[in-house]
This record gives sequence, structure tokens and C-alpha cells, in this order.
Amino acid sequence: MSIIQVKNVSFEYFKGVKVLNNINFTLNKGEVVAIIGQNGSGKTTLVKHFNGLLRPTKGEVLINDEDAVKKTVAQLSHTCGYVFQNPDDQIFNSVVTAEVAFGPSNMGIKSHELKVRVNEALRTVGLYEERDKHPLDLDLNQKKLVAIASIVAMRPELIILDEPTTGQDHAGLLRVEALINELRKNYTVIIISHDMNLVARVASRVVMMCNGEIIFDGSPKEAFTKNALMKKTYLKPPIITELAQSLKGFKRDVLTVDEFMDELKTKLKK
Amino acid sequence: MDIVTFKDFSWRYAGYRGWTLSNINLSIKKGEFIGIIGKIGSGRTTFCSSMLGLIPHFYPGLMEGEIIVDGVNVEKTSISELSTRVGLAFQSPANQLTGAGTTIEEELAFGLQNLGIPYKEMHKKVRDMLKLIGLEHFGKRSPFELSGGQQQKVAIASVLIMNPKILVLDEPTSQLDPLGTEQVFDMVKKLSKKGITIIMSTNNINYLSKFADRIVLFDNKIVKVDTPDKILTDVELLREHALTHSDITEVSIRLKKMGLYNKELLVDFDDLKKVIEGLIK
Repeated sequence: MSIIQVKNVSFEYFKGVKVLNNINFTLNKGEVVAIIGQNGSGKTTLVKHFNGLLRPTKGEVLINDEDAVKKTVAQLSHTCGYVFQNPDDQIFNSVVTAEVAFGPSNMGIKSHELKVRVNEALRTVGLYEERDKHPLDLDLNQKKLVAIASIVAMRPELIILDEPTTGQDHAGLLRVEALINELRKNYTVIIISHDMNLVARVASRVVMMCNGEIIFDGSPKEAFTKNALMKKTYLKPPIITELAQSLKGFKRDVLTVDEFMDELKTKLKK
Repeated sequence: MDIVTFKDFSWRYAGYRGWTLSNINLSIKKGEFIGIIGKIGSGRTTFCSSMLGLIPHFYPGLMEGEIIVDGVNVEKTSISELSTRVGLAFQSPANQLTGAGTTIEEELAFGLQNLGIPYKEMHKKVRDMLKLIGLEHFGKRSPFELSGGQQQKVAIASVLIMNPKILVLDEPTSQLDPLGTEQVFDMVKKLSKKGITIIMSTNNINYLSKFADRIVLFDNKIVKVDTPDKILTDVELLREHALTHSDITEVSIRLKKMGLYNKELLVDFDDLKKVIEGLIK
């Protein structure tokens, strides 16, 4: 079942400069879709159509089969939660719990139910113990998690994570990855990312964008073998995939070290 | 010849109990490429900010020890004086872009204008720089109309255009796409070959292994200084400080366990490729 249908959508920030050009895209329930592509390829512009922050210049966006244009940003936020790239763009309250409560309380959620949602969201992201701290006293890894929790507390159907691993160290990266695997149980997830290792590990589907157009839509394994397309939009497969591709006779769609070692073992047996 | 020297340098931000950096002793030679690694909160940004004098002049706090940059004592030298020797590219382009110019060309020319560079020369430098970062058709646009990654390139260019002797880069590729990242590293490598001293904070181990002369591991102090192949393959050390090793190193570890390889652990792509090609021949 589809949550979002994008039909022939074009978008211009300025007249004559197409940032999106005739996009067609359907998002199904339960998917974890990675949108990848070079800086300026239109990734963020596209997803901002899903929560009404932007409206198409041409074409239409259907959210649960209803025209997004007829709904306000507040209404769309029930379906689609967007986590900003930079948590400092999003966080403004002085206590973690207040920050996380802001979204749902704006939706009219009150007292007990609000508390339940906030605590649940904080547990989901693993920040329950930090709930009484000032968000700005948290490190960058944790701030990102606060930003995600404040969206989770609104219980949208779809959660969009814009560059969830930017500025994160290894520990933060592992936490984000584990969190996406947690979210996928209950939510449809879109990640926008340049981190091809993350994409290889969590995405069920990859949408590749270049100059405002979708140039590929398929599995991660297939995406990373499309070297010419990848190069066109300034991407590179994970280093382990590159290594396999550089070796004669190796599969070209190796995504992990485990898969690489399996491939090597079969080559050594021969 | 040492171009940067830290002597018993410690720094504590006003209002904070702990020292963000303590007892830093490090000498950097002219023309060296130094890679800085460490987890979040390990003091890397503080270290980078200190060479331009943002610490101690801009941020309030307590400083101990001294920092000598290109022959001058940072504590006794103004930021504007230091900025003729040191260029600092911030992690977030929003902190770098002045907003003083309405176009990218003006943004890039801002520093040069302040130095009184003649118009013709300035114009050429701006064009060359736009070409270098692949934004030659964007000169007339506002920097704030660019994507995050494009802004990051403009921010780096606005530092490079000042032609600094020492270039400090704090996570300069955090928002860039993979080829954009490669371009920035290539650009930095070229500058390094020209003799510019490079100090670059990044956890992109695959690139550091190729380009850096030495790596410094921070954890609110200097934990270790060594060559890339020594530090980046020290799996235990990296793990202790919340970092991880490259997949290249991981493959070499597994080859060792299988008894297929018995030399030093690897971090370089081409080195590993050769070893595997030798195995499957």
C-alpha cells in the first residue's frame, strides 16, 4: 500500500530554474528508502514536498491518496515527520522532555498520553536517562537523537531522516544504524544520505537523483553496480564494494566484509 | 623547521568544569600534512580553533601553556594578524559564510577586498577558485541558495583564496557527497604538494591513510601521534577511543586469521588489492 505518490512533479525555487524535473515516485508502507545523489541534486527539495514545506510548481503529490496541496503543513505532519540535517536547526527547548513534547502537544495531545508518548520516544532512541538535561548540554550524537525522538513522539507514518550520520563519530553512527533498524518495525523510513555504508546496510530500496531527476530506483545491490550512473551523480559505492569490483572475477554487488570474504573463499577453492 | 608548536597547552571553556584539552605538546613541520582524529567531544574543534587565535581571543576560558604559529605567539597576536598566516575552514559552512556578499563571487572576494587587492587580480582569483570547486556557473547566485554541500565548498574556497601558509580544516567534508569529498581531498593534497602546511580534522580514515604524514589521536589530550599505517590499523586503540578501523583493515585482519597473510595490517586500498591478487592467482 502506498503512502506517497509523486506524479509528474516539477519544482522551481526561481522561475526557469528547475530543481525537480518531472519526478514520478511511489513510496510503499514499511519500506526503508535511501535517497542518494550529489549535493544540489534535489533530494531535500523532493522530500520537503511530502510534508508540505514545499508545493509542486507542476504535477501532484498524493499523501495516502489525498492531494497534499489541500492540506496544511500541520495536517501533513501527522503523516510525515521530517528530521533536519542539523539538529541545531530543530532544537529550541531548554529540557529534553519539553523538546520532545513540543510536536505532539501542538497536535493536541495532552497530559498522560503526552507523557507516555514522550517517554516512549526517548526510550526508542535510547535517551531516557538524559531526559532532564538541557539539549545543548548533549553531544552532537545525542542531539541528533533528540531531534529524532521529537518526531517519533508525533507518531507519524513516515519518518524522513535528512543526513542522519553527518558529523557523527563511529559510536554515533552505530547508534543511528541500530535506531533505523528499530524504526523500520513500526514506521516507513526515508533516509537522505551520502554515507554509502549506511545505505548498504539499512536500505531496502535506493532512489538515485541527479539534476532534479530520478535516474535509478531499485535495490542497493543493483544501485552500487551502476558505476556510470553513480559517477554521474557524484557517488561512490562503499569501499568494500569498490574493492570487489576492482578484482577480476569477483561479484560486483558485494556490500559487506562478510560477503567479500565469502566471495574470496569461493575463489580460493577453485 | 617547525611552523606550529604547542607547549603544555591546556584550555578550559568558561563555565565548564573539565579541561577540553590538557597538556598538549606537538610540533608540526612546515609542509607537513597532519590528520586529526577523535570521537565527538574529544577537543578536535577546539584544537583547530586555537591556531587562528579564536581560542583564547574569541571564546572566553582559561588557557595554560603557549602556542607558536609561524613565529608568533598566538596569545599575544590578534586574530586578524593570525588570519594572514592561518586559514581555518569550519565544520559548518553557516559559520564561515559572511553573508556580507549577495553573490558567491562577492563572498569569495570578501577577504581579498579587506586586503585591498586590485580588482582585476581579485576577479581572476575568484574565477579560478570557482573553477577549482566546480561552481563556475554559480558565481552570480546567493551562497544561501546552494545546497549544504555546495556551501561547504564555497566556505573552503573563501579560506583558500587568501593563500594561507597553514590551512586548518575542521571536518571539511562532513556534508559533501562522496565525489565532492574526493575533490576536496584532492584539492588539499595539491595544496600540500605546493608546500602548504595542512592540519585536517576528519574521521575519514580511508583518505587520511593515503594523504597524511602523521595522525594525531585526540581524547581531550593527545593520546598518540604516529604514521597513518601505525595508528589507523591499531584496532584496539581506535576502539578504546570510540573510533573504528577501515573495512580494508578488517579484511587484512581476517586474512591473517585464516593464515593467508602474515605481515602488517593494511589500511591502503591498493596494498590490499595486491595481496588479494597474489592469493587468487
